[in-house]
Amino acid sequence: MRLRLCGVGFTWAVALCAAILAALTAVRGDIALGTLASPIDALRLDFGLSPLAVPFLALLALVSFAVGAWSLQRARPADIVLIGFFALAMLGVFVARSVAAFVLAWEAMSLVSAFLVAAHHERRDVRRATLTYLIFAQAGVVCIVAALFILAIAAGSTSFPVMTAHAGTLPVPLRSAAFALVLLGFGSKAGLVPLHVWLPRAHPVAPANASAMLSGVMLKVAIYGLCLVVLQLAAPAPLAWGVIVLVLGTVSAVVGVLYAVVDHNLKRLLAYHSVENIGIITIALGVALIALASGDAAVAGVALVAALFHTVNHGLFKALLFLGAGIVADTEGTVDLERLGGLWERLVWTAPFFLIGCVAIAGLPPFNGFASEWMTFQSLIAALAGTVPAVKLVLLAAVAGLALTGGLAAACFVKVFGVAFLGRSRRPESRALREPFDASNFALGLLAVLCTAFGVLPMLAVAPLARIAAAIVGVAPLGLPTLPVLPVTAAALPFAGALLCVALAARRGVRRVPTWTCGSPVTARAQYTATAFAKPLRTIFAFLLLPERRRALEAGISRWFPSRIRYRTESRYVVDEAARRFVAIILRWTRLARGLQSGSLRLYLTYAIATFILVVAVVH
Amino acid sequence: MLVFVQVLVIAALAPLLQGAMKQLRARLQGRPGPNPIQPYRDLAKLWSKEALLPDGTSIVTLCAPGLAFGVALTFAAVLPLTAQAVPVIDVVALAFLLALGRFALSLAALDTRNAFTGMAASREMTFATLVEPTLLLALLGGAILGHGTALESLLGVAFGPASMLAFAAFFLVMLLETARIPLDNQETHYELTMMHEGLTLEYSGWQLALVGLGSYVRQLSFFVLAAMLLLPGGGMLVWIAVIIGLAVAIALVETLFAKLRLFEVPQVLTTAFILAATSVALRIFGAAA
Repeated sequence: MRLRLCGVGFTWAVALCAAILAALTAVRGDIALGTLASPIDALRLDFGLSPLAVPFLALLALVSFAVGAWSLQRARPADIVLIGFFALAMLGVFVARSVAAFVLAWEAMSLVSAFLVAAHHERRDVRRATLTYLIFAQAGVVCIVAALFILAIAAGSTSFPVMTAHAGTLPVPLRSAAFALVLLGFGSKAGLVPLHVWLPRAHPVAPANASAMLSGVMLKVAIYGLCLVVLQLAAPAPLAWGVIVLVLGTVSAVVGVLYAVVDHNLKRLLAYHSVENIGIITIALGVALIALASGDAAVAGVALVAALFHTVNHGLFKALLFLGAGIVADTEGTVDLERLGGLWERLVWTAPFFLIGCVAIAGLPPFNGFASEWMTFQSLIAALAGTVPAVKLVLLAAVAGLALTGGLAAACFVKVFGVAFLGRSRRPESRALREPFDASNFALGLLAVLCTAFGVLPMLAVAPLARIAAAIVGVAPLGLPTLPVLPVTAAALPFAGALLCVALAARRGVRRVPTWTCGSPVTARAQYTATAFAKPLRTIFAFLLLPERRRALEAGISRWFPSRIRYRTESRYVVDEAARRFVAIILRWTRLARGLQSGSLRLYLTYAIATFILVVAVVH
Repeated sequence: MLVFVQVLVIAALAPLLQGAMKQLRARLQGRPGPNPIQPYRDLAKLWSKEALLPDGTSIVTLCAPGLAFGVALTFAAVLPLTAQAVPVIDVVALAFLLALGRFALSLAALDTRNAFTGMAASREMTFATLVEPTLLLALLGGAILGHGTALESLLGVAFGPASMLAFAAFFLVMLLETARIPLDNQETHYELTMMHEGLTLEYSGWQLALVGLGSYVRQLSFFVLAAMLLLPGGGMLVWIAVIIGLAVAIALVETLFAKLRLFEVPQVLTTAFILAATSVALRIFGAAA
């Protein structure tokens, strides 16, 4: 108990630090925090803050605080202590201002998060997921280190401000090489398709509070890194970078949400939605780059605000949903949608908050997801004016892709909330207890209030973000004044209508009758299931999802009267299938390298000495 | 103020459009058909009756009809017919708004524990995902030409091949959104054909009246928008003529075509998407040339 309190206190302390730093930077602009000198100048550690880090720090503060509150009564003590260190490492990434400091903090973040993913290491699938995660994280960091040092060597300094100042003078091929490398490195961390493969494996097996931090904040650290490089360290970005980022974002958004819609494990489904939302953020970032390359700084500002706003919003509602899923897992013992049902009656506090999260992530008014997705659309359309026709087509393809994504996300969360929380419980043994209000509900409530506040009054977030974007692109973003009233107007009449129903029901009464089931008894089994709900989408998008159906009949008195039918569907997914083949090829080649690893200490010492001699020989 | 008049007029005329189309279709099929004012009678009767709800359903089910009704009224309010009072709801927000109504009704459908409504919710949400990209591309004609995303931007577009393609795409989408044969069927809510109607199977009394009036208002609003897409510079009288033309056309379509199999509906929607995308491409390269 004491360990848990220590962990929560530690996490809250980190959250407080992040909040203070965010506030200071928002007011004062660039802040230098100090330098740890090193005998090798390339390895010196600079710390400081730039406006770009502010939304990320604010998100870190909010989510860490909520996760801490959630963990007061629920978490395993060791997890929350680790989460404190995890938050600290992410804070380190945001305050790093030299290559060595950034890489150090980044590695700390990756390793601590790997421990969190491995929390239930007694399970085989958890160990596999951790291994996959570590492989992607380490391969990614190699790319990131290479890219940062390429830029640092060319600029002649490892300090970020100096590198930013010199970025414009570097040759384009060199910057493009760095761009390709960071796209691989940060893209794999953020879960951009096709580098997302680790994400839906690692996020769901972590404890719920860790998943909230991983999906809510850590993916955004990768977005921060990407922004840092493409907007500052390797700026200005040529048009092609913007188009590449935009296309990657669109593909990630569509593929992520398609995977989610046919998945029925609540936590894995949420992880796929992280791929989708990272895609949406990346779309906005791509628009910002395209507009900057076309010399349209005002539109770039709008797009950047949209990207940062959606970054914050996704962190909030995804943390809310993951923490809610944690409560579901605790009370029901499962997150399989096919076994859940009727939670609305028992989780009386969790359910309404979870509903707000669902509406927000589906991008519907008047919540925050709508505000930032609407801004993303606006930036896509505004960017049309300034570009060549070919890029216009790409932008409009992204509009269509984003619209498809929105529709699929709405379908998916109708499935999640309708199947798991509404209707009737699918398990007769589940207890009919109402949950009491506790700290974890408070955490959910806090996040739900923030989702609503940023939706109803988006200017709360947009005004400071616009100042940050202006500092980065150099021009104040246009077209923002219409935003503050928009979500309210869009939802005023619908919610008045909903209240009208409540009022009418109170005055005229509503009679309760059994559900009409054509005369057969009303049972939970008659309800539509998640698999059935997703069936039409699975059929329509079969060319991407590659669904497989396995059916086994246990013969009864004859083939036509089976005593039992087992039915299973699985999706293999085109992208994952391609990735699997690619990995198989790599594994075949790495088998050749296996001969080098004998496990013998003497052999390794020989390697070390040989490397040393080789280095000395090359240097002289 | 004008905007209230606009909403009231649309809400007052919407049931008439429904009744007239039903009467016309009946005549085309050689039946006498109901009186065109029958929808008003139905609504009045339903409004006076008590509402029944399935045991154990949540407040979501209670509120969904009102929410969907509010969405329909907002749709009617933002049409650029009169001087605009609510210009902040643009094309993009409109698409999200329609999705909100659908979201609420579909959640309610899953809440009722009825397999039919659940099935309808699944189909409704599935086809909505295919409709949304088409709807946006068809309505973004003005935005591509640089008039912004407000609904008035539609009125600044010239009549031409691109606008006709956008209209054709919108017409196909509208058939689904207003639950018309060959994509859906308003007359039944049972398994093989149902989508929209099945969704609200468990509603009754004043709640069903709200659902009904809401869908009539949505239908007329879609017709108005279609008229504006076809003849942007038309003006009120021309648009009314187009709306009457559309009503006749849809009655003919409903008489001449049979309901499509469910999994053939995506093909129609894909066709609509291709039409909308072609219109967009024409606009982009037309503007460039």
